[in-house]
Amino acid sequence: MAESADALLRAGQQSRPNGDEVVTISNLSKTFHKRGLTALEGVDVTLRHGTFTSVIGPSGCGKSTLLKIMAGLIPATMGEVLLNGQPVTGPRKDIGIMFQQPTLLPWRTALENVLLPIEIRSGAAAAEGASDRGRELLDLVGLEGFDHVHPFELSGGMAQRVAICRMLVTGPAILLLDEPFGALDELTREYMNFELQRICLGRDATSFMVTHAIPEAVFLGDEVLVMSARPGRIAEIVDVDLPRPRTLDMMTTPEFASLVRHVRHRLDELGAIA
Amino acid sequence: MSEAESLWYSGTWIDRVPQWVSITFFGLSFLGVWWFVAGMEFVSPVLLPGPGETFSELWDVTQNIFSGGHIAEALWITSQEVFWGFLAAAVSGFVLGVVVGETRLGQRAIMPYLVALNALPKVAFAPVFVAWFGFGVNSKIVMAMFIAFFPVIVDTAAGLASTDSDALMLFESMESSRWQTLRQLKLPSALPFIFAGLKTAAVFSVVGAVVGEYLGGGKGLGELIRLSAQTLRIDRVFAMIVYLGVIGILLFGVVAWTERKLLFWQESEIFEIQGTG
Ligand SMILES: Nc1ncnc2c1ncn2[C@@H]1O[C@H](COP(=O)(O)OP(=O)(O)OP(=O)(O)O)[C@@H](O)[C@H]1O
Ligand SMILES: [Mg+2]
Repeated sequence: MAESADALLRAGQQSRPNGDEVVTISNLSKTFHKRGLTALEGVDVTLRHGTFTSVIGPSGCGKSTLLKIMAGLIPATMGEVLLNGQPVTGPRKDIGIMFQQPTLLPWRTALENVLLPIEIRSGAAAAEGASDRGRELLDLVGLEGFDHVHPFELSGGMAQRVAICRMLVTGPAILLLDEPFGALDELTREYMNFELQRICLGRDATSFMVTHAIPEAVFLGDEVLVMSARPGRIAEIVDVDLPRPRTLDMMTTPEFASLVRHVRHRLDELGAIA
Repeated sequence: MSEAESLWYSGTWIDRVPQWVSITFFGLSFLGVWWFVAGMEFVSPVLLPGPGETFSELWDVTQNIFSGGHIAEALWITSQEVFWGFLAAAVSGFVLGVVVGETRLGQRAIMPYLVALNALPKVAFAPVFVAWFGFGVNSKIVMAMFIAFFPVIVDTAAGLASTDSDALMLFESMESSRWQTLRQLKLPSALPFIFAGLKTAAVFSVVGAVVGEYLGGGKGLGELIRLSAQTLRIDRVFAMIVYLGVIGILLFGVVAWTERKLLFWQESEIFEIQGTG
């Protein structure tokens, strides 16, 4: 038992990606002046190429705010976000984003929804030209033949898979996910976690995911950032030394359990768990 | 539906009856009550004709209409007033609604005036429109438009304001221009609201045209109704009101049908009650 755990750990160490820094955030703060509320203070984050970073923390600690700043949707009060060496000053093509709700446009087919970012950025002709890529992406998430289906005919999990394709279609350097599967049922959610891992590994993607579920954070993450509230800070960075790809069996190992317990204790100390 | 299925069926009993059956049943009950009350002669039969007299009068009016008599002419005039009034209300209401919903100037400077104007009894303007646009159809068209365009403005603006905030953020992340966001996201999302406004406008434009005719004369159905009422031909009044209803229902039906075809992604019944702003 101890031996196999050791092997697991060593394998984990070997597979630890150690790529270049894709995102560098140093001493970032955000104050909402209208409410005089400091949502984030002194946040440092480094995301390396090909890694998956999970973020967990009490509700209202500023996770979504951090993600929006990284996406260039709102400005930071202090500090900056460097993406591939360039400061993020607004929305960018190389940033992919996804929310808790699929936010598909109901009047567009699945494929048209996937191609929306291209149509908005480069026009309808460019979107038309990218339809093969769109179809490939739908195939990749297991939605073969669903290109002409409208969102109301899709299940919640299927709709989120279309949203994944829409996020991937512009070939972003980083994926920002805000509780992407939080609205799905337990089984679908687990399945989507496997899907997400497969897609991220397959594309060597750099991902940053906010979640409320501790096992999900550990299962997907190379690192779990535990945040504290008021003001939002990174309280601890938990390294997850489990080999890739993560499997269902791994979730029953003592290592996994102890990591989950560790994160839970930290959150407990931070007053996140009532 | 099988026995087992019906056990699971969770609607009330009224859901299980076909709609035409419930409609017919309710209509017949109403006729029964009417027939009874009129037959008891609580009021003079001149003032409250029974269903029998009314239906025979309706038959006469229908014959007049289909043989191209003077009532056909009046019906045609009123229909035109309603149609053009509705169209003007739809277009102006939509444009103003977008201006009010999309621009700070509209929200801060124009909307307060519209709200104040909407609070006025709009019928009171009828004589003004007659003075400005004469006794012909124009004053009625303007009246119909004037009464009908507020719900379109309010619903269009409300629809634009109700756009999902995540979707707005998504469009922002795609560096969408304001025009693109309006065209690709906000207007399509606002369509259910806009159609709710248009359905209200369809009904209101009939009201506007008839009020215009009551107060401003002309040659429409409203004028004929007024004259019939003066000579205490209440049965004829009822018969012609039925045809006013036909105008309203036809217009409403066309709007509702268009909505169903256009908004294929949402389920709606044609005769559904929808809130308007
Ligand atoms: N636009 C804004 N204006 C003012 N305050 C805001 C704004 N957006 C967020 N806040 C505040 O900032 C704090 C952090 O919000 P944020 O949405 O980032 O939290 P979160 O960690 O994502 O919470 P949850 O887990 O519930 O999604 C909250 O107290 C929130 O009320
Ligand atoms: Mg959040």
